[in-house]
Order: sequence, then C-alpha cells, then structure tokens
Amino acid sequence: MIGSLAYCILGTLLVGAVAQDTTVPQIGVDDSLWYPYDETLLLKPLPNNDLLLSFTFQLQSEPFDPAVSSHSFDAYEYYTTFPRAIPPLLDSTATRQFHLRFTRGFWDALSWGQLPHGGKQAGASGVELWSLVQAADQEQAFQNWKKLANSLSGLFCSSLNFVDKSRTTFPRRSYASASASPLFNDTENLYLMRASLPNEPICTENLTPFIKLLPTRGHSGLTSLLDGHKLFDSLWNSISLDITTVCTENGDSLCHYEMEAHVDMATHVPSALARNERPIPKPLDGNSLRCDMDKPFDSYQCFPLPDPSETHLKLSQLFSKPIKNGNLFANRPTKICADVDRSTWTAHLSVDDTIYSTHDNCFELSNDQNESGSGYDFILESSDTTQVSPVDPVPIHVGRSLTGNGQDRGGIRTAFHNDNDTPVKLIYFESLPWFVRVYLSSLQITSTTSSHLHEDDIITDKYYLQAADRQRPAHLEFTMLIPAHSDIVMTYQFDKALLQFAEYPPDANHGFEIDAAVITVLSPESEEPVYETRTSTLLLSLSTPDFSMPYNVIILTSTIMGLIFGMLYNLMVKRIVTVDEADKIMLNSGLKYKLLKLKEKLLKTKQTKID
Amino acid sequence: MALLEKLHRRVVDMGLVPRVIALLPVISTLCALFGFISIAILPMDGQYRRTYISENALMPSQAYSYFRETEWNILRGYRSQIEKTVNMTSTERNNIMGSWLQEFGTKTAIYENDQYGETLYGVMHAPRGDGTEAMVLAIPWFNSEKEFNVGGASLGISLARFFSRWPVWSKNIIVVFSENPHAALRSWVEAYHTSLDLTGGSIEAAVVLDYSSAEDFFEYVEVSYDGLNGELPNLDLVNVAISIIEHEGMKVSLHGLPYDQLGNNDFFSRFKILCLGIRDWALSGVKNPHGNEAFSGWRIQSVTLKAHGHGGHDITTFGRIPEAMFRSINNLLEKFHQSFFFYLLLAPRQFVSISSYLPSAVALSVAFAVSSLNAFINNDYASISLFSKYNLIAVLVWFISMVVSFVISQLFLSVLPAGLLMTISLAVCFLPIALSGKVHISEPLSYRLKNVAFLYFSLVSTSLLMINFAMALLIGTLAFPMTFIKTISIKASAESETSLGSNISIKTEPNDEMQLNEHYKEGISEKNQQRQQLKNLSLLILTNPFISITVFGLLFDDEFQGFDIINKLVSAWIDLKCWSWFVLCIGWLPCWLLILASSFESKSVVIKSKEKQS
Repeated sequence: MIGSLAYCILGTLLVGAVAQDTTVPQIGVDDSLWYPYDETLLLKPLPNNDLLLSFTFQLQSEPFDPAVSSHSFDAYEYYTTFPRAIPPLLDSTATRQFHLRFTRGFWDALSWGQLPHGGKQAGASGVELWSLVQAADQEQAFQNWKKLANSLSGLFCSSLNFVDKSRTTFPRRSYASASASPLFNDTENLYLMRASLPNEPICTENLTPFIKLLPTRGHSGLTSLLDGHKLFDSLWNSISLDITTVCTENGDSLCHYEMEAHVDMATHVPSALARNERPIPKPLDGNSLRCDMDKPFDSYQCFPLPDPSETHLKLSQLFSKPIKNGNLFANRPTKICADVDRSTWTAHLSVDDTIYSTHDNCFELSNDQNESGSGYDFILESSDTTQVSPVDPVPIHVGRSLTGNGQDRGGIRTAFHNDNDTPVKLIYFESLPWFVRVYLSSLQITSTTSSHLHEDDIITDKYYLQAADRQRPAHLEFTMLIPAHSDIVMTYQFDKALLQFAEYPPDANHGFEIDAAVITVLSPESEEPVYETRTSTLLLSLSTPDFSMPYNVIILTSTIMGLIFGMLYNLMVKRIVTVDEADKIMLNSGLKYKLLKLKEKLLKTKQTKID
Repeated sequence: MALLEKLHRRVVDMGLVPRVIALLPVISTLCALFGFISIAILPMDGQYRRTYISENALMPSQAYSYFRETEWNILRGYRSQIEKTVNMTSTERNNIMGSWLQEFGTKTAIYENDQYGETLYGVMHAPRGDGTEAMVLAIPWFNSEKEFNVGGASLGISLARFFSRWPVWSKNIIVVFSENPHAALRSWVEAYHTSLDLTGGSIEAAVVLDYSSAEDFFEYVEVSYDGLNGELPNLDLVNVAISIIEHEGMKVSLHGLPYDQLGNNDFFSRFKILCLGIRDWALSGVKNPHGNEAFSGWRIQSVTLKAHGHGGHDITTFGRIPEAMFRSINNLLEKFHQSFFFYLLLAPRQFVSISSYLPSAVALSVAFAVSSLNAFINNDYASISLFSKYNLIAVLVWFISMVVSFVISQLFLSVLPAGLLMTISLAVCFLPIALSGKVHISEPLSYRLKNVAFLYFSLVSTSLLMINFAMALLIGTLAFPMTFIKTISIKASAESETSLGSNISIKTEPNDEMQLNEHYKEGISEKNQQRQQLKNLSLLILTNPFISITVFGLLFDDEFQGFDIINKLVSAWIDLKCWSWFVLCIGWLPCWLLILASSFESKSVVIKSKEKQS
C-alpha cells in the first residue's frame, strides 16, 4: 500500500500512476476542482556546511473582468485559494502589482555565490515594498500608494505605515518588472513607487500573517514546516510576496491576479543540529572534543578541528517536525528537490521508516496521509560536505560603508569588485534620507587596479534627484560600467542636517538607518536585468541634542527677560537724578526721615501732654 | 536695583576698590589655591559617588558566562601553536591566524600599511540584528611593553571560535590582530573609517586584550580607559568592565596601581588614584598607549584589559570578561549615552562627575585672568589709552610669539632633536640677565605684555578645560609660577627723571597703592634688583613649557627618561593625532615668550596728561 501513500516519482508521467493506484475513494473531489496552487522546496547545500532552503508558493485568483466594477449590483466576488484580503486591497488602491520583501541577515556572496532566484526575491535588510499603481497623476498615485502601505502594514504587522513622502522614491530603471502590467484606464498612467524601512526587525509577527495568506495555512504541505523559531534562527532569511495582475490577450478582457511567495533561508547545519542536542552552546565534554592529532594533544590541550565533513541531516531535525501530508487540494503535488553534488551526496525521502530515492533527487508528496500519520521526512547524507554542486559566482561584489567622523559631515564609500573576464554593466540605485545632504560635486571614482580612469567611462548615465527637506529623499540612479578584473571605488561626501525637536525618535537611539543601495546587473546584450543584489544598510549617527537642554534654555531666557524687564520698568517709572540730588531727596522723604517725623510727632504729643 | 546701588555706594565710600586692586596678586594666588584645595578634597567622604550602571539594558554578568571548562583545552591548543609564531614575520603569523579564523566562517582581510605593518581582521556577521553595528575585540601581537601577547592572541582566537557558536549576537563582531597597540592599531581604525572594503558597520565598543604571559594563571586585571585628547569612554562601559571583573572574583587595578595597594580604600588611596588618573588622562597618548586610545575619536567606547601577576585566577576567567562585556554591549538598543563621558575615578567603584571637579580648573583659569587684570590696572600706567603704542606693541609681540611658537612646533615636529629644543629653551631664559643694562623696554610695555600673556593663557585654559580637563589643570598648575615674575624697572634716565616728578604731581588722586609703588620704586636697591632678576630667571626656567613638562615627566612618571617626553609628544601627534604637543606649543609657549619679553629691564615712562584723559 506504500504506493498509495507516498510517491517518489519523476516527471508528470507518474502523476497518472498516483491516480490509478489510489484505492481510497476521494468523495466529491473532481479533477476539474483541483486548485491552482503550487508549492516546492529546494534544498541546496552550500560551502562551509551551510544549507539553503527555498520554499516557493504560487497561486492564481479566479478571473475577473476589470470593466465590471465591484460595486455594481450584479458583481460578485469569488475567492478560492487566493487570499481574501488581497484583491479588495488591489482594487481600492488601483494597484497592478506589488512586491514585499522581509529580509534579515548576511548573505555570504563570497562563498555562497548568487542569491537564490537571481536576487530578485531578496530585499535589503528590513522591509522593502515597491508597487505599480495606476493613477491620473503622481499625487493620486502617492495617495493610493500610501493607502496600500497602510493596509499592508496592518496585514503584515510591520511598520509600513511609516512610509511617507520622505521615504518614497519613483525609480526610473531599477525595479523594472519582468511582466508588463495592464492599464485599465487609458487616460491614466502607471506609477512605480518604492520605499524601504531598513531598521525594521523581521520576526514571527510578520511570518504568521504571511502563512495565513497561503491556502494550507501551516496545517499541511510545506507550510507546516514554517516555524518562526527555526526560520529566524538562520544566518540569512528572506520572505517575499509578489502580486501581479495578468490579463489574457484573447479578447475576452478577463484578468486574474498571480501571487508568488518565497521563503528562503540559509542556515549553518552543524550549529542547527547541535542546537537540538544542546540548546545552550555550552563547552563540550572533554570526550566529545574533536582535536587535531597532528598537533600537541592531551587531556589539557586540544587544537580544534574544523566542522566534520560528513553529515546526516533530516529535515525534521532542522525544523523539529516532519512535513504533514501533501498540500491536499492543489492541481500539482507538493515537490521537494535537492540540488546536490551526486558524487558525495544522497537525498532520500523517508515515510514510515521506509526510504525512497529518485535519480534526479526530486520528490513529489502525495496528498494521502501515511498510515501512522508520522508525516514525510527528507534526509540528506554526505561523505564530504566540502563537495557541493557548483555555486554561480556573483557578477559583482559591492560593499558600502560610511566614512569620516564627526557629527556634522560624513561620506559614503562604495567599492565595486569585478573579477570576471568581462565588464559588468549595472544600475546603481540609492535612496538617501533628506537629512543626508549629498554633495554630488564631491563624487569621486578611484581605482586601485588601474591608475588612469575617467569618471565618465565608469558612470555612463547619471540620474540625481535632490532631496527636499521632509518631502522626498535624495534619489541616485547611476548606470555604471565596471571594467573586467577591476576594483572601482565611488565616494561622495555629505552634510548631516539638524532635525527638528519632534523629529527625533522618542529616546536617544542607536542611529538613523540609511537604505541599502540596489545594484541591478544588466545583461550585456539585451540590457535586461539578470541579477539583483543589495548592499548592507548603514547606521548614521546624527547629532542628538540633550533633551533636557530646552528646559535650561527656557530657564535662562526667562531669567534674562525678567532682568531686562525689571530694568526697563525701573527706567520708565522712576525719575533719574544725580547722587547728590538723591541724597537730598532721601533726607526729606526717606524711611529714616519718616521714622524721625513719627518720633518727633510722638514726642510732641507727649510734650503737649506733659505740658 | 536700589539694594545694589546702596552696596556700590558703600563700597565706594569705604574705598574698597583701590584696596582690592592692590590685593589682586594675592587674590590670584588664592584662586589657584582654591583650585588645588577643591580638587584635593574630592577623595573625602561625601564628595564622591559610588558608580552605578546607568543604562538598564546592559545588565552585566546577568547571563552565565560559558567560556570555561574545555574551552581552556582549546585555548591551550591554540596557544601551543601561537607560541611557535613569535619569530615569524607578521605576514606569516597573520596568514596562520587568518586561516584559523576562516575555519569557523569568519570573513578575514589584511590591512596593509607601509609604515605601520599589516593588520589582520575578521568580521563575524551577526545572525540576529541588521548588521549595521559592530563590537571590536582587538589583540595587538606585541603589547605596549613590546612583549609578545601570546595569551591575548590565544584568548582572541579561542573567544572568536566560542562566539561563532552563539546565536545571540545582534551586533557584528570584529576581531583585530594588529602589530602593536599604538600606531598600527590606530592606522587600522582610521582605515576602517576611510578605505577598507570589508567592514561590519559602525563600531560601538572595543575591548583590547593584553595578556602577555604564556602562563595559565594571573593575579589581577588592570583596566585602562583614558582616550586621546581628553576623551573618555562612557562610564557605563568602564563600570561594566569593572563590575564583571569583580563579579568573577578578581581585583581591578587602575592607572598601574600595584597588587598590594588594591584593597585600600581610604582618603590617601583615593587621592593617589585621583592624581594618577589626572596624570594619565593629561598624558594619554604621550605615555605608552595601552590600545584603547587607538579607538578614540569615532564615538567608539573602548577599554584595555591587561592581566598582571602570577597565580590566582586562570586564563579563562580573563576570557570571561570580554565574553560578558560583549553580551552586555550586545543588549544595547541605543548608543552609549546614558552615563557620564567626563568623570574621574577614585577607586574602581567610586567616581566624581564633571560638576565636582571642573571648578578647580575654572579657578585656575580665573587666577590667570586676575593676574592679567593685575598687570593692567595695578600700576602707574592703568590709565593710558587702550590704543596707545604700548598696547599695540604688546598685541604685535603676542602675534609674533604666536608665529614663532607655530614655527617651533612645526620645526621640532619633523626635523630637529629634542635636546636642541631644551638647550635653546634654557639659554633663552638667561637673556634678560645677560642683556641687563643693554636692552631695555619701557615699563608700561612690560606690564602690557604680561597683561596680554595671562589673558591669552586664561582663554586657552578656559576653552581647554571642558574638553580636556586634565590637560587644562596640568598646564595651569605648571604655568602658574609665571604670575610671580615681576617687572624689573631701573632708574629712569636723567631727562625722564625730571619729568617723573611732574608726572606724579599731575596725578589727581594719588591713592595708597600708587604711593606704595612710588615708595617701592624709590627704595629699590641694586641688590634687590639682582635678587629679583635671579628669582625671575628661576621662575622662567621652571615655567618654560618644554622644561616644565620634562621635569614633570621625570618626577611623576617613571616611564620617561631624559628628554623622552618631547619626542613622545611629537610622535603622539604624528601617530595618534593627539594634540598635547600643540597645546604646549601654541597654548603655553606664546604666553611664556611674552612673559620672557616682559622680564627684560624696563624704564619707567612719563605719561602725558593727554593720554591719561582716556
């Protein structure tokens, strides 16, 4: 009966076999009612005992007619697996597509090579959102965009409601979408807007609503693996959501939404496994130390060996639970693949202690729960983890850092390193907050590898939109050509603006974050984007006032004003006389004089009495 | 207002103003005395405070430290290998260390500096957090005493390995192996903020390890915290370090206090630490740097931990200090800003804040201001016009002396030896005596020169005292004897002698003070004058910035021999950008040159009534 429980099948040919072998009748399920849902998991061992896990989920909405307003009396909305929350949101904000990224951690491009999916699904550290909005003008587009950001903020428990004019840019060449978006009203235009929140911590709060958007909702299929504790306990992780509108061209003018969601994570396998045994990485027992026997070694000293190169890894160890069932209602079964070097790695699917293997290391999970309900497990074994399937080298390495010291000015230094045999053409996109006042005149291109180089040869096209205080960020978009085998360094200087009292975060902070720069590598022939990568975000420290100072200022100015007032008042109401005159007057009108008078008066009355 | 008016009339009636003017030199000395006393009473009970952790997020020693047990075996394993690298070139040594760091996933790079050698550093990216902030663990291969830092290096690599296993880090960890704790480390920090490709975000805090013995046991820990140019790390970081060290059961030494004095906590022990603290603070960067100085200037809080002695605590205990410190710093959600940036420690757990110690330096600079006032009004020439030639010449001489001082500072910065500087300084002091009877200046000019000199010094020390209190106090104290230098006036020539009488007769209000002066002038004998000249000579020698600082270094710090301190002042500027040299040359020297000029023999001058009207 195993055949009916789990299938380790290759290609679509055997999908039919599943249907044939299935003896359990599926009540009321018609083949035509399988829903458009697709989920896959790709495991790819990386050098240094790291492992990349890529979850992909794809969905389609029911077709709709954009000509029919959702408010018309005969309109009805029919959602199947497509999340109920999304279409009204797109409808009310005239959004044709939006892309949301939650990314955290450090992608080690030097040893791991290219980002998964050509970098198109990975955002910068924090939250990144861009969307294509249909509107009559830019102002209306911004209003729609603001509404979209606010709604997504509620939907994903993130701070996207802080997206405002001072964070929004309108990219020109970067963020180009692969698919064209339809325009429902020819008098209007599509506006591409982009914002990011670099200091947003990504956590379970964001993951849970994300899982709830998917039809399996964490109860079956691959989503049952997704657990915040495990996902965020990784070296690098990224959650992405892309919604696009696709219209058929065959005249019936029907459109549908497509949703693509990705969860990617890179994890260090030995530490993840060790975490199960010892939640706190305490010192090992003396017996379990792995020492280099070639070097002095006894019960007192031990030169440590690197991580072992053999591994036996179960997916259920990584996630503390097996995969529950298939996805239950999709038109295609849940798929798990391993991209491994076959000479040293083997991949198996384990169901109820029975192990299956295929020759392309791809497995499809049947929808029927196995007998014991223990779920599916995936096993990766290797005799030498240093041998992995080749990683694609990145076309370009980009590092960005802040330079200079002091509270009033600074600089940004971006280093491009191209070790390919061909020059790399790329678009460098940067959005800088308005309080960073860039001096574009200070822009310098230097190179450690070639002495004579001209700025115009490197930056072939320059677009720069100056920042407006509190209104818009500075927007740099350079088209650059980095020669083969070269190190190019771009630097520029900026001044730090002073913020207004209320613009500072509530307490003294660790600094103000600067968005990551986005590098889009273009293919040399077609100028189509082939790879995207982002630099790390930066932390800018602005001069922060001592917030008790306003009170000191108030006290001091009040004192001075009091003194000035007193003096002026005296000048106005008092007669100015010389000292001699004053003495004379005092003789005839002072307190002493009055006392004297009183005394005299008393004495006089006394005298008269005596008299 | 009426009350003030009355008071003012009372003061005028009693004739207090001329009396106070006559007493100005005494008041100046009293101000200085007040300064010294107010700092000397700080170690008394009730004047200082106990330290406390101001930033609640830090929570030092709240998490159990696990750098112990078999980590010791690993540390010994690394140490046995590091011991073999003593005689290797720095490139070989850094390559070995770099390969070890890479084994557990650290990104390493080598910063090459033609002048100061190679620096190896590795960035461990934080699994939690956005990677925009970093903590630095710096290990100089050779410590400030030029000893091979074998314990420090093995602690560095084994701690880095230990840290790599922990998933708690929200700030990147950067491990730095520099050739030495001064120029090499400084050049790396500078390069990190200008030209390095591999960076790990802005550095929040740095801990420098110095464990130069290959032994497993040590006795106590010395914490060094003085930054360059008067900068100190936030008191919270120092408190965290001290609290962790004491929590682990070790004793803390500050400013090189030996082990047998660590338990003491009475007035004299606190006073000693206070004085040593001011000395080390003032000469920070000039003295052998411990390593933490290198991070000064980029808002990086840093301390150096140095292990001393033999026996007692094991080396992993020492390693638990940076471990627990990193755990604390890792908790920070803000920059270090809660606690004090200006403080003086009297004992590891006792401190005085800036409001308590600043008055002493203020009093000193007031003393100079009063001396300046004294030179202006406390003589026969108080009433000459502000724009008289004497004032203008004095300002001109000040300007020239500034230029001369600047030239001297630049010349000795690069070319000339310190011995020459000292010889010239000493020789110049004898000029007034050597040229007595040959060169004269006019008496009012002598007073005006003093006036400008002290005013300038007072301004320098006032502007210095907020940012570099110890330096302001040190130069104020050392330069104070300058105020005792008196103007030597010789009998005026025949024609002016006759007019002297008329001069006095012109005076409308001859007061006590003027009579006194008159009397003094008339009664001055040749012998008295010579005695005064000798006194001036000794005061000039004593207050020459270069001689004075050298003598201070020789007397109060056993690190300096001969004219060492001058060379070290110069190299502190070149290597570390520590301005002490320029404070001496441009702050103090012009004032001294003016005083030197004023101590030439002077002739009294008749003041014309026209000039007096102003």
